[in-house]
Amino acid sequence: MSMEAMVFLFGVIVGAGLLFVKVFFVILISDLEVDYINPIEMCNKLNQLVLPEMFVHALLSFIYLISGQWIATAWNLPLVAYNANKIMTGKHMYDATEIFRTLGQHKKECFIKLGFYLLSFFYYLYR
Amino acid sequence: MGPSGGPMNQRPPMNQQRPLQQHPGMGRPPGPGPRPPVSGPGAPTSQPQQQQQQFQQHGGVPSQSPQRPPPMNSAPGATMPMVRPVSNLQQQPSDVGQPGHDQAPLNQARPPPPGQQASGMGQPHGQVAWGAPPGSAPSSGNAQNQRSRPPSLVMQQQPLHPPSHQTPSQPPVQPAMQPAMQPPMQPPMQPPMQSQTPAQQPQQPQHPPSIGQDPNFAPMAGTPIPTGQATGGHKPKRVYPSAGVNAAQDSPPYGPMSGHPGGEVGGGFQSVGAPGMPQPPQPQYGASAMAAASPSYGTPVPTHNPTFQQGHGQGQIPQQPNAHQMTNQMGSMSLQQQQQQQPGYGFSNNAGPSLTTVALTGTRPHIQDLEAPPPAIRLTSAASVTQSPYANCDPSYKRSTLNAIPATQELLKKSRLPLGLVITPYRSVKEGDEPVPVVSDSIMARCRRCRTYINPYVKFVEGGQRWKCNMCFTLNEVPSSFDYDPHTQQPVDRWQRLELNYAVVEYIAPTEYMVRPPQPPVYLFLIDVSYQAIQCGMVATAAAAILESLDHIPNEEGRTKVGVIAVDSAIHFFNLNTVSGEPEMLVVSDLEEPFLPQPLDMLCNLTDCRDNLSSLLDRLHNMFKDTHNVGSALGPALLSAYKLISPIGGKILCLQSSLPNLGPGVVKMREDPKLLGTSKESTLLEPASSFYKTFSIDCMKSQVCVDMFLFGAQYSDVATMNCLPKYTGGNTFFYPSFNAARPEDAEKLRHELREILSQEIALEAVMRVRVSKGLRMSAFYGNFFVRSTDLLSLPNVPRDQSYSIELGFEDLLTVQTVCFQTALLHTSSSGERRVRVLTMALPVTNSLADLYMSADQVAIATLLANKAVERTHMSAAASGATPNLPISDNLKLIPLLTLGMLKHLAFRASSQIPSDMRSFALHLLSTLPSQCLIPYIHPQFYSLHNMPENCGTVDVNTGKVQMPQAMNLSSENLARGGLFMIDNSQAIWLWVGRDVVPQLCWDLFGEESYQNIRGGKTMLPVLENDFNQRINLIIRHTQNMRRQPYYESVYVVKEDGDQLLRMQFLSHLIEDRAEPILSYHQYLAHLKDRVNHGSF
Repeated sequence: MSMEAMVFLFGVIVGAGLLFVKVFFVILISDLEVDYINPIEMCNKLNQLVLPEMFVHALLSFIYLISGQWIATAWNLPLVAYNANKIMTGKHMYDATEIFRTLGQHKKECFIKLGFYLLSFFYYLYR
Repeated sequence: MGPSGGPMNQRPPMNQQRPLQQHPGMGRPPGPGPRPPVSGPGAPTSQPQQQQQQFQQHGGVPSQSPQRPPPMNSAPGATMPMVRPVSNLQQQPSDVGQPGHDQAPLNQARPPPPGQQASGMGQPHGQVAWGAPPGSAPSSGNAQNQRSRPPSLVMQQQPLHPPSHQTPSQPPVQPAMQPAMQPPMQPPMQPPMQSQTPAQQPQQPQHPPSIGQDPNFAPMAGTPIPTGQATGGHKPKRVYPSAGVNAAQDSPPYGPMSGHPGGEVGGGFQSVGAPGMPQPPQPQYGASAMAAASPSYGTPVPTHNPTFQQGHGQGQIPQQPNAHQMTNQMGSMSLQQQQQQQPGYGFSNNAGPSLTTVALTGTRPHIQDLEAPPPAIRLTSAASVTQSPYANCDPSYKRSTLNAIPATQELLKKSRLPLGLVITPYRSVKEGDEPVPVVSDSIMARCRRCRTYINPYVKFVEGGQRWKCNMCFTLNEVPSSFDYDPHTQQPVDRWQRLELNYAVVEYIAPTEYMVRPPQPPVYLFLIDVSYQAIQCGMVATAAAAILESLDHIPNEEGRTKVGVIAVDSAIHFFNLNTVSGEPEMLVVSDLEEPFLPQPLDMLCNLTDCRDNLSSLLDRLHNMFKDTHNVGSALGPALLSAYKLISPIGGKILCLQSSLPNLGPGVVKMREDPKLLGTSKESTLLEPASSFYKTFSIDCMKSQVCVDMFLFGAQYSDVATMNCLPKYTGGNTFFYPSFNAARPEDAEKLRHELREILSQEIALEAVMRVRVSKGLRMSAFYGNFFVRSTDLLSLPNVPRDQSYSIELGFEDLLTVQTVCFQTALLHTSSSGERRVRVLTMALPVTNSLADLYMSADQVAIATLLANKAVERTHMSAAASGATPNLPISDNLKLIPLLTLGMLKHLAFRASSQIPSDMRSFALHLLSTLPSQCLIPYIHPQFYSLHNMPENCGTVDVNTGKVQMPQAMNLSSENLARGGLFMIDNSQAIWLWVGRDVVPQLCWDLFGEESYQNIRGGKTMLPVLENDFNQRINLIIRHTQNMRRQPYYESVYVVKEDGDQLLRMQFLSHLIEDRAEPILSYHQYLAHLKDRVNHGSF
């Protein structure tokens, strides 16, 4: 198997993982909206996953970079930058005290990321 | 070494008590289930909302505001299921006597409640044009009454009314004024307001001023305003004229002033208008009539207290009307006409005032209206199942920004008015207020679908067997005990039930509403004993104040628990449960993992350990008086306190006078004068450390509330410290540069601690707000934790804290009445689980005119203040969210209030305001009830040297202290020889003019001359003379008249004294221009421009 195939196989697996994580985010956020979960618990659960998700995504992008997959790198780079910016400004965590005020934004972000991972997944799979 | 007999520095082995920290309660928090701790697992249905509950006080008499109409006569034969004297307030006999209560014809038109009728009829619809000659002015009493009357819907039809329908007391209008005043202020989106057709105007002047209506007003013809200084037969009393340029010459500075036109001030309320005070003309506002009219700016508010006018036999001064002269008349209509002519409004109205507009420019804001009641809620008489006058919520508990709800989102958008509720569910009940009625038979009828509590606005159907929920329209069974009492085996009258007659009721909650036995009140004092705290005397003063308040702490059942922790660089616990009767001090200096040395003895029963506690508080200061320890381990101490208190829940009172500098929760000095006044300033208003936010969430989960008392010599980071109270339902108190050596500082601390400790608080509370289908809550503002989209969690509910809720649309409103119900499930201080239910019903309207007519400017200002606070935290710029250019009469003060906010300490752009002061002001803005918030934004301004002689005395008839007339906040009203007072609900400022007469200095301050008066924060001496006692009474009354725990310190400001004090005083004069913010009239012009250019 060529190096390129290896890299994309890895990408498909990681992409599927990210997809699942994001689905989990969306589920919890909808749960909060219909009051199946309280905000503190939800934030505790989600906050455990925020950094790993960002790290894994950054790692994947890095692997694409060093393996010379320029298109895949370029596709992922904006999200890496966005995540990095959020961490720098300290806004990456879910804050239970503000959650209802920011729920709309979080939801929107989750859906966009979900779509992004979905597209990535199929791109890695079929290219 | 402290005097406590116990082993000092006893330090148990490190791990000794660890197991005890695993309190069962620690694992309890909200739990994985959707229901947080308070929800009852055994609740009768599976609906998620069932957490709301109720509670109440026994023997309560319905609490209501004094403005309510008097109770009707009770039906002679009505049986009362409850012992409470409520029957008086029940329906009219005709209702009570309805055959068969289970068959009650619910929707039949009942006679409207007397209050509605009375207020709707026979009132002049006085709109007056400013600048009208005094002789033609109507009495301002009428203008005032207008406000308390349910406004009617429409003004479009007005021109149609034949003159014969007008009430004879129709006030006149200056037709000539109208075209001039009207156009600039007409916002383009308000076609209805154009209804001022010329056709109506000619008829107006035919009506004489409302002479026949109000006997108090003498005919005015030929009475020039300024001569209104009545020359009644009073014996001359001492009056302080302003020793201004004019006055000083033509009259002796002090003494009987009979020779002076301004001398007899006793005749009326014209405090401002005394000619002795130079009243500069106001050339910029044109009309020459203005100058003459201006003295009447202190019009009393006869609506509130009619006896004001007659009660004293004072000469009546026909001058009041001028204050309201500049309004435009929109005409009026009679009741019948209105109902006939407005088929399209979705609801019928009982009374028919019309939308009135006023011209804003060219006039002074009519500030007396700040205290006017909100616009009446015009529900149909069939909306409520009973005709109780208390069927809708008192504004002091809950008020809506719009007393008519727009049917569509588009209409709301078009109006540009904010839609929201201002709720003060747990306001204090002072002497004279009626307590909240209590339903003690634990029959709680609730909708099985949405869990709404039964309320006066439900519908009984199927012969009264079922009731239809007014929120979700589900049919529910009526509990049989509504009609039949199984204990006495007697039929009972369901129309007498409190929940069908009162909008505010409390239920005693059954056990389904508890997850654990109701908690006892717990007070844990966390006292800073570092060097700064000892030096400024905080420890001694606070300990004395706590000691003094021990007897007032709610402890009816003897269950209250108290504990004390002192903290510097170590944590000092006190064991109050010793046999020896001497408190034991145990010191823990391990800040990394602080533990509780004897967890079972640290909190003890107040009754049992009262002696130990007193001896500890007595000695606390001496124990640490020689300390040089500058460390403050607030974070670890909070964690320990939390461990101690979390199994029960309760209140931590944290008295902190230095920045925490050890352990977790360290806060650094971050005030940077370079940032003040710039866009980066908002970072200073954000919490600096995430520790406090995280900790507050833990506290909330365990029903622990934190109150912060901050004493900062320099910077105390109010923004960060305020996090704890903010999310736990607490309160913050701030004492900048506290020094106990100053009696006024010590008094403030003593007063506020006593207030906080002695108030009956609600514990382990949740608050849920339900709104009719089609509406939803979009944002919550206040001190609480939002636990769900409609559920707020409050470990403690302090008295008189206000919460604001913004509403949005989900759907069109197809109903005629919408309902808002707030339920507060709490444990009372006496250990009862109760649910307090506040229900408010409002009509739905399709008319923009209605919307404007029903807008409540006080509630709007409160909501805007809360939103502005929020925005300050989010972004840099101060907010001036002006919703619209209001022109309707009941909105005319909105520009003034928004201007007040723009110039407020919390929002104005300035590099001189320390961020602590700003943070604290923001805290106050978001928690004060409207009653205190409005003066905080727009202070009361009084002239004291020339106030009428009855001011500052107790009115024999009403038992109330007579206050001088409030004046407009403009420096034009200041005189060089005067004594003025500004009261902003948080502080009282006394301005002493430089030419003040020596006699006044002597009488008031006990000083020989102006030069000897000391400026700054002070307490007025109590001297044996009339003037001093009146001023002292006014100040005491001001300090006590509002519902709040804060103490108003008195500041004396000398005209040529300390620059800073002067600036602070002058910054309250919001109608003046204060760089870079516009004056009131400039602001209006600015608003007008923006409206005309459509840039809103």
